[in-house]
Amino acid sequence: MPEIVQNEPVRVRGDALQPLGVRVENVDLSYGANHVLKDVTLDVAPGEFFAFLGPSGCGKTTLLRLIAGFNQADRGRVLVGGEDVSRLPPWKRDVGMVFQSYALWPHMTVWRNVAFGLEERRLPRAQIKQRVAEALELVGLSHLADRRPSQLSGGQQQRVAVARTVAIRPKVLLLDEPLSNLDAKLRVQVRRELRDLQQRLGITTIFVTHDQEEANTICDRIAVMNEGKIQQVGTPLELYQRPANLFVASFLGAANILSGEVVGAGSDRAFRLGEVFLPIPPGATIPPGAKLVFRPQDVQITGKGSGAFSGTIVHREFLGAMTRYGVRVGGTEILIDAPFHAGDRLHEVGQEVAAMVAPEAMLWLAS
Amino acid sequence: MALALLRREGVVAVGAGQAAAAAAIALFLLLFLITPVATVIYVAFTEKGSGAFTFVNFYDFARTDLFVRSFWNSVYVSAMAVVLASVFALPLATITTRFEFRGALLIQTLGFVPLIMPPFVGAVAMQLLFGRNGTVNLLLDDWFGLKIPFMEGLNGVVFVQAIHYFPFILVNLSASLRNIDRSMEEAAQNLGCSGFRLFRRVVFPLALPGYLAGASLVFVKVFDDLATPLLLNVKDMLAPQAYLRVTSIGIADPMGYVIATVLIAVSILAMWASAAAMRGKDYSTAQRGGGGLSQRRMRRWESALAYFVVFLILGLVLAPHLGLLLLSFATIWSYSPLPDGFTLAHYTRVFGESFVYIKNTVLYASLAGLIDVVLGTAIAYFVLRTKLVGREWLDWAASAALAVPGVVLGIGYLRTFYGVQLPGGQPLATLWIMIVIALAIRRLPYALRACYAALQQISVSLEEAAENLGATKARTVRRVVVPLMTGGILAGFISSFSTAAVELSATLMLVQSSSDAPLAYGLYIFMQSPAGRGPGAALGVIAVMLVAACAFLTHLVVERSQGAQGLSS
Amino acid sequence: MRYRIAALAALVMGVWAGPALAQNPTGKVTVSTSFSKDVTDPFKKAFEKAFPGVTLEVQNRNTNAGVKYVEETRANNQTDLFWASAPDAFEVLKGKGLLQKYQPKATGIPEKIGAFPINDPDGFYFGFAASGYGIMWNERYAKANKLPEPKEWSDLAKPAYYDHVSIAAPSRSGTTHLTIETILQGEGWDKGWRTVKEMAGNFRQVTERSFGVPDAVNSGQVGFGIVIDFFAFSAQASGFPVKFVYPTVTTIVPANVAIIANAPNKAGAEAFIEFLLSPAGQEVLLEPSIRRLPINPAVYAKAPADYPNPFKDPSLGARVKFDVDVSEKRTAVIDALFDQLITFQLEGLKAATKAIHDAEAALAKKDNAQGRALVKEARDLIAVMPITEAQASSPEIAGAFTGGKEKGARQAELEQQWASFAKERYAQAKAKAEEALKLAR
Repeated sequence: MPEIVQNEPVRVRGDALQPLGVRVENVDLSYGANHVLKDVTLDVAPGEFFAFLGPSGCGKTTLLRLIAGFNQADRGRVLVGGEDVSRLPPWKRDVGMVFQSYALWPHMTVWRNVAFGLEERRLPRAQIKQRVAEALELVGLSHLADRRPSQLSGGQQQRVAVARTVAIRPKVLLLDEPLSNLDAKLRVQVRRELRDLQQRLGITTIFVTHDQEEANTICDRIAVMNEGKIQQVGTPLELYQRPANLFVASFLGAANILSGEVVGAGSDRAFRLGEVFLPIPPGATIPPGAKLVFRPQDVQITGKGSGAFSGTIVHREFLGAMTRYGVRVGGTEILIDAPFHAGDRLHEVGQEVAAMVAPEAMLWLAS
Repeated sequence: MALALLRREGVVAVGAGQAAAAAAIALFLLLFLITPVATVIYVAFTEKGSGAFTFVNFYDFARTDLFVRSFWNSVYVSAMAVVLASVFALPLATITTRFEFRGALLIQTLGFVPLIMPPFVGAVAMQLLFGRNGTVNLLLDDWFGLKIPFMEGLNGVVFVQAIHYFPFILVNLSASLRNIDRSMEEAAQNLGCSGFRLFRRVVFPLALPGYLAGASLVFVKVFDDLATPLLLNVKDMLAPQAYLRVTSIGIADPMGYVIATVLIAVSILAMWASAAAMRGKDYSTAQRGGGGLSQRRMRRWESALAYFVVFLILGLVLAPHLGLLLLSFATIWSYSPLPDGFTLAHYTRVFGESFVYIKNTVLYASLAGLIDVVLGTAIAYFVLRTKLVGREWLDWAASAALAVPGVVLGIGYLRTFYGVQLPGGQPLATLWIMIVIALAIRRLPYALRACYAALQQISVSLEEAAENLGATKARTVRRVVVPLMTGGILAGFISSFSTAAVELSATLMLVQSSSDAPLAYGLYIFMQSPAGRGPGAALGVIAVMLVAACAFLTHLVVERSQGAQGLSS
Repeated sequence: MRYRIAALAALVMGVWAGPALAQNPTGKVTVSTSFSKDVTDPFKKAFEKAFPGVTLEVQNRNTNAGVKYVEETRANNQTDLFWASAPDAFEVLKGKGLLQKYQPKATGIPEKIGAFPINDPDGFYFGFAASGYGIMWNERYAKANKLPEPKEWSDLAKPAYYDHVSIAAPSRSGTTHLTIETILQGEGWDKGWRTVKEMAGNFRQVTERSFGVPDAVNSGQVGFGIVIDFFAFSAQASGFPVKFVYPTVTTIVPANVAIIANAPNKAGAEAFIEFLLSPAGQEVLLEPSIRRLPINPAVYAKAPADYPNPFKDPSLGARVKFDVDVSEKRTAVIDALFDQLITFQLEGLKAATKAIHDAEAALAKKDNAQGRALVKEARDLIAVMPITEAQASSPEIAGAFTGGKEKGARQAELEQQWASFAKERYAQAKAKAEEALKLAR
């Protein structure tokens, strides 16, 4: 990392200083009748790489823009480093944002784009030069400083947008779907770069995405959002293993979600799916109206035995490391992932198989 | 790099249909612009009397103090008019597009009205308000014992021209401002930029293509305008000199045509300079984040200030029309702040006598506007999207029409088309359609600029998408390009239509009978007599209302259609 | 036999009736005119009433544009009549062979009005109304600025009128051209130009169209204007607070009408001329919106009491013997001189004039012989002309304007010479007058 410049006129703060946390408190936001954010409360720890994950229209970008100051909450407040910034305009928040479209100004060169925020902070010329050089170095674009944005590729534009934002050394870095305009291969590379960068700068970063893989691979913690509400906050593993509700379970990875009813009592309890009865492990708590959730890889195709059920394979996808089978059981289709090892034979469509769910993998979730 | 490559590929190979269309347009321009003007202009290169070819006239031009002075006066007036027009246009355009502002549409429409200043009667109204013994100065003299020379000398011309032509900047700048994606601004705010700095560093540079388009139009129009200086009795400017030479010394005198040639050359130079300045500033939708337009809500005091500024500017620029309105109801208005009395008699007279003028005006101006947007769209498309050989020449030729004084075009038409007889023995030049064509040629540059700017804002990839889905070039233009250009095309139509509706100089030579005459001609006739002043003003008011109503309706249609397409949200 | 006589009679009648019928005008009569709607509308109404079935198609263009139009369209002429004020426009058309001869049948019209022949001696164009030149002013303006009523051209040269007078450029207005020519012929070349330039020193503006002057006076933007009488009369009739006076050096000139060569409706054109010259047509001139002087003396019986009558009032226009030939030869030169010495040098001329006025005012309080001499020198510097009367009509100079073979220089060169001549002398005059002012302090 380049040396930290002391005595900055605007903010005595460099990347070596303590990163700041972000807190969103009881925020409500509506556009007319459209209630976009509903009582959102959230804590992002200092230095954390945090993601807002959810389908489009879930309010994640709105929440990000709220932190940046582009949206005003009807109720609630936003704190950065413990300081209430709700009343501050965007240009006083020191919250750096990388736009989905990158929003590079076409009338300025790359260098000028990056220098812009520093110029706005009235830094001395020499310092601006140095910091722009650093920022461009950081993203590996020093050689393109004199180009115009229209002369750059998508990935380069994205990196300029990042450089422009980190150049001001913001308190928090906001990334609004920064990878969505890149092709798949580049996306993998860039997301790794972003993670690296965040690690090096140690800056609190919030990342908006609808792609769970992106979120899982680079983020420390994720807030899953749907319909304006935070569904669950946790590490990728927590969210995957212990989803708080059906939405989280289905949104993160593939899941079998089965409706049925609990029959029997005590240790004889079973979950009835039409004609099939699945034994319920002892001690499991089942909220009323809950559905049975388990991951496809937690189902095993076995011989007939206790706790097993049978069905017909209706489709098959060979994915290399594993094979995904669709098995019709009663009226529903259950996904089963079978690992593939050299020499394995695949089951055929139409074949009748018996399968078993690992009891510890069974979750009962209400919607 | 990839983008540049994309663009190059987007420029397509020459199709036979395109070539044919371009050739048709070239023929049209050749027939109705270049030939008539050439028949007149070539006089500049002939020796008086003998008709021998010579350049001596240009030598005389450069050696004549009056002409040299006129030249620099024209440059000064045009440049200052651009400055003052920008002072009027910038706040109006910014407030109405970048903020949530009640009545923005109305202001945009009203801001357009000054362009529709009927000839003669408008100047009379201006004199009555701002003249040496106009309302303002009589009151100032009464109260403070001082007079402000609004309408005196070169600065008077600057004042009147800026009021008259600032809508060109307003319209073009507003269109550009509307096209700036909100993320462009938000990125700057995010980096700590706000308020006026934000406008200066990001918003205005992004709107620069529109501003330049408008400013160059204002420059050229002021440079070539002869009516306003003459009505203010400023004669030492280039365009008035050309007009005075041609119409008073005679058709055989070369100096008038030398000046006309200089006018055309300077205008083309100005257009070229603005085009050169805009090169590489193709801020098309490829840059857009799809965030749409950001309109900020204003705080109470900001809002109050904005209304104050808007009303101040509108009050100033619409004063001539207010004067016109007063004049149209006035009995006698002479050396007094307000008319002696009011009457409806002028309107009665006008409605009795002049309905045919109104009908003709609507017909001619709409047809001319229609021709203009068709040609304008086509030429803009050829220039920006094809590799047709000589496509820039179409552009230059059409733009050069801006520099041709109306009277030169009128004389050229008579020379070229009067000898052409129709089957009935009637000369071609006497058909009313010739008035329409002359108007269309005169106003083509306005429509062309608007179409050009509109097409510049459209990403090539949108067209490629259509072609990719199986649409031919022609169908792509019809189904994708033209609908996306609707705003620009309609802006072009409005400029052409409304200025054609009050055009006089070319029509004066071509009107053959009062049953074919447009409104401006009727006005001219009224304004030749003392008793005609009131009815003239009434006719002027009707003209302005008519054009303003058409412009407002068109605006509404655009808003609605864009709203339906989700473009304006 | 009786049948035969009847047939013969019918035949004879038919023979006679034939041409009579042919002369009975029908259809559309197209007239190109510089007259305003206020003038043309009453005539159109009266004419169409007198000849049912005929429509008068009025095309309004200013005189110069009208001449140009007729010239440009000669190959396929569609215009029947040319109808305008300035006789010189008709001379131009006649010279180019664009007019057609005719012998009007109307009676009771004298040869001359004042010193001016009413009809073209060659029979190409005919006067139908007369007008004189004079000074028009706005009463409110005069009262507010405490200015006296002028009577003569020279009155307008008085210091009191500084910056209050307006005129149309003679190169732009045929009528103003005649006014200047009248002053030059009435007072002589040098004295005439002196009068013109002394007046010009008081000019507020030189407009480029005739109607610009009455328009400015009507609205009170300018106090005094040099105009043709009917502008003032019709403004008065419309209620504007304006007055008009004929100075003694004026000329009464006819406004004219002519048939265009190859007129498509010759019969209609002739009928219109006969109508204009008939008592019925002449009476239309008395209408308040027109107010021009009839050329049939009998018609004045029907005029209002204070109507000026050049046939009765010997002071009207009789003093100047207007020489059409002299005027014709130097038309372009006079116009160019006026433009180069006055219109385009107005600033310098006004500055010099103002300095002279100031010096004279100071000298009136504290006389000083040297100062007087300086002021006289200054006045002479303003008055001096770059060319003499003889030169003005010489082929060397006139040729430069017409493109003739004998030209000594190109028009642009001459104009530049004259302009710098005037510019220098006005600057010298100003310096001398300022010197005189110093002496008088």
